[in-house]
Amino acid sequence: MMFTTKMKYLTAVVLDKDVEAVTKELLADGVLHFVNIAEVSSGLKNKVQSVTPQISLTRIAELKKRIESFLNMIGILPEKEKALDITQLTPVDLEQSEKELDKLSESVQGIRDRQKNIQQEILKLEDIKRQIELFGDIRSSLKERSHFSFLNVQTGIIPENRFEDFNTEFKTLPSVVLNFHTESEQSSILLITMKRDDNRVNALLLKYGWVDAEIDQEMDGIKENVVSDLDNKLKIYNKEQQDLHDESFSVIKEKGDTLQRLWANLRMNELYYKIQSYFSKTSRTVIFSGWVPAGKADSLEKGIDKATKGLCYMEWSNPEKLEREEKTKVKVPVQLKNPKFLAPFQMLVKNYAIPEYGTIDPTPFVAVAYLIMFGLMFGDAGHGLVLLCIGFLGMFFDKKASGNIFNLFKLISYCGVSAICAGVLFGSYFGMEWFPPLWFDYHAVVLGHVPGDSIIHDIYGILQITLYFGIGVIFAGLILNWINLVRQKRWLRLFLDKTGLLGAWVYGGGIYIGYYFMTQNGKLPDDTTLLLLAFIPMLLFLLKPVLSFFTKKTDNHHARFTIFTLIDFFMEWIVELLEVFGGYLANTLSFMRVAGLGIAHTSLMVAFFKIADMTNSPIFAPMVLIFGNILVIALEGLSAGIQSLRLNYYEFFSKYFSGTGEAYTPVSLSTSQD
Amino acid sequence: MAGPLEKYAFIAAKLRTKLSKILSADFLARLISSHSLVEAIQLLRDTDFSQVDVIYEKTGDLKMGELELFKQEIKLFEEVIRYVSGDVADFCRALLMRYEIDNLKNILRLWFDRVVRKREIEEASSYIYREKIIRDLHVEQLLNAENIENIPEILSDSPYGLLILENSEQIKLKNSLFSLEIALDKYYYKQLLLQVSMLSTRDAEIANRLIGVEIDMHNINWIVRFKTLYDLSLEDTLSYIIPFGHSLNQQMLGAAFQSEGTADIISDFIKKKYANLSPLIKIQGSETHSRLVLVERLLEEIMRYEVKRVLMGNPFTIGIILAYFVLKKWEIKKVMTILNAKLYGIEAERIRDSL
Repeated sequence: MMFTTKMKYLTAVVLDKDVEAVTKELLADGVLHFVNIAEVSSGLKNKVQSVTPQISLTRIAELKKRIESFLNMIGILPEKEKALDITQLTPVDLEQSEKELDKLSESVQGIRDRQKNIQQEILKLEDIKRQIELFGDIRSSLKERSHFSFLNVQTGIIPENRFEDFNTEFKTLPSVVLNFHTESEQSSILLITMKRDDNRVNALLLKYGWVDAEIDQEMDGIKENVVSDLDNKLKIYNKEQQDLHDESFSVIKEKGDTLQRLWANLRMNELYYKIQSYFSKTSRTVIFSGWVPAGKADSLEKGIDKATKGLCYMEWSNPEKLEREEKTKVKVPVQLKNPKFLAPFQMLVKNYAIPEYGTIDPTPFVAVAYLIMFGLMFGDAGHGLVLLCIGFLGMFFDKKASGNIFNLFKLISYCGVSAICAGVLFGSYFGMEWFPPLWFDYHAVVLGHVPGDSIIHDIYGILQITLYFGIGVIFAGLILNWINLVRQKRWLRLFLDKTGLLGAWVYGGGIYIGYYFMTQNGKLPDDTTLLLLAFIPMLLFLLKPVLSFFTKKTDNHHARFTIFTLIDFFMEWIVELLEVFGGYLANTLSFMRVAGLGIAHTSLMVAFFKIADMTNSPIFAPMVLIFGNILVIALEGLSAGIQSLRLNYYEFFSKYFSGTGEAYTPVSLSTSQD
Repeated sequence: MAGPLEKYAFIAAKLRTKLSKILSADFLARLISSHSLVEAIQLLRDTDFSQVDVIYEKTGDLKMGELELFKQEIKLFEEVIRYVSGDVADFCRALLMRYEIDNLKNILRLWFDRVVRKREIEEASSYIYREKIIRDLHVEQLLNAENIENIPEILSDSPYGLLILENSEQIKLKNSLFSLEIALDKYYYKQLLLQVSMLSTRDAEIANRLIGVEIDMHNINWIVRFKTLYDLSLEDTLSYIIPFGHSLNQQMLGAAFQSEGTADIISDFIKKKYANLSPLIKIQGSETHSRLVLVERLLEEIMRYEVKRVLMGNPFTIGIILAYFVLKKWEIKKVMTILNAKLYGIEAERIRDSL
């Protein structure tokens, strides 16, 4: 937990015939971070050939995306963890799979085409309806037919016994058929059709013996009847449309399980061939290599041994041995292993960068620093409780979401707890003092009504606390850096770097001199102290460029000593001194933002209490306070969260964190997709 | 009077966020290589085009989706207008007029098809946008108008009535809506540039540049058509040209129209203006038409360059609004081109070429 996980390097040689079993074993174990053997063992570069996967990984990825797209249509996502079972891995026929998907696509497209036809009918009926509604009374329109430019509205009679068939035939056209009455075995009919269908309409009218007739007297309320008839037809078409939509859904759903299985098999094949893409081969053997967390080396060795029935050769190296053998720096992947409850902070660290292999894992330190900073900036137990609830609710409702979202809610709940603790210390509960503070009354300090026995009397006191806190954080960062440097045996940097012992000497000296100056009314300490705390370490900084040059640890290994080298030494020294003084001063003062945000939080609450008082209303006052609390929680919560992160990233990490590591990414069944 | 920061801070932040959601070239490539229209539309589910997916799933009708996008574009303008005020809001309203004029042109084309060409328009008329954009266009009355004389009366409550009245003789004489369409375009740019003159000096400069490039593209488009499809005199051609272009004035376009090497002349003019884009300006191709198409593409490239310049510059100017609308318009055009190509089963390679 304190340091990055110890890794071991495996080089394995297996027989050609065991490749399949070994690949499956490696995939099932899912612990090997593959490295192309030629990258590490330079001696093997020309002796082995790389293995080309038998099928195209691009085609597999393409097919997977197609399946995801179909599954998405029915609202499901491939459940990777549930579906991937190495025992179910079978060779995949890409061509056949593509054909199956094409077939499915055609089926759905066919349904969409049918939907389009129905939609055309719907649009036509809607058009008729729109025209009828727009042009008022149908009776007058019969006299001025030209108004209905798309429509033919006509009245007439047909034999009563033929009406049913007449009606059925017209149902196939966008039309309205209304039967007013039947007399003397003749049905009086109002017929509305589209002009474009005139040819078909005329043929039908002829077929059923249509005779034009005026039926004016029965036309009262006819418009409502026509619209209602159209509505009924539209309802039927819309129902058909919905049925087709459901049918397309069913077509995909029927294939849902097959698609999920195919997806899972494709994914496993993709990983299977991805593993093999790291393999190199000789005439009868296959060689592969990679990094494994030391704790998992034994189980992996047993697995490979079992898969090859003992016919394999495995060699384990640690990074130091490998570097000695290859006489070069080896890039070791980094695994951060922390308890689950620290996952949100590990996410913050990874978001910044991956630490160098063998150095301190910053996660636990970030957790402590982040939460203290947040608490100091957002110290209110009531607001903290709200954050805690939001965090819990988020985690509860978002269980299926990606890990990062879940971790974010977890982080919010931690921030809630931190704010509650700080709120209890400051006696602040939704901006009110329900219980006396355990430390000091933040609100009273900001408002200037401090009780006599308070530890802190004014906002300068708060600023002082945050400065002390900042100094503590910076020193903690320096100590962590020294531990890293000792482990890496970088002695020059340990003693003479600005983040080494010498840097700490200057920083500590600067703090003492500053403190003395402030408390002794602008006086400086005596000369001996100044000499010891400032001038000697300043001079010692000159040693760094000199020693670096003579121990060949500069960028230019072959540089010769000339007069310009002396100028270089001098310039480097000056720049280093400027960086030390400027950098440490800025880093320390940067922590004043913690006080700034804390004071802003309190001031905003005070402002809302004042506004609530000014309303003088039993209804508006609580509303103002509720709104104010919500605003402060949202605004200040976000600000405090961001500023805590910023202080960690720029003031704390800059002292000890070298984010040059490469993340440990084994190929496993749970590997996230590219 | 509000300063630029106050004027644009909110809208700039909002539009920058929206700009980040504009579909990337990679996404469009995926869209192009999708195996069918159904699969292509499905890809749009989690984008700003999700409504196309919803409508297509419900109706199977791509045109309905296109109509929905048109509605969305108008809503977008209305949204932007809500967040700005004064001269900027007036300018955005003038920009919105483009949609109204395009809609009016579509309605009039359908009317022309029905009354003059005696074609059936029932199907197409369903895809006309019927809601009010700025003014009521009385869509049904226009579509049902019996003759050209009725139309100015129907549109008498808008400036378009007068424009149609002025052009009605030409429409009858030439049996074409062409003169009217040009008149509508000219009216649009005249109104737009009038609003530009009300903006602050810095805003006006940016707006003039971007609108000028758009006018150039518009004019080039017409010159290409005049050269290849119509038999027009120089005088007629020049009367159809919209003034206030950025790189190409009436004289240059006239010279280009008369010359055999139209494309070369235009590209020379552009080269002088955009010397820093010279590697881009290589008009190759043997046929006049294809070379003019390349000039059109070049102007598009220049527009892209201008938009990029605006986006990299001061964020608190009218540029952000103009740049957003240009990019959004292109995005919609590209997506719809791809989807329509998928509908007609056009191969991926050809779609790529046409974009």
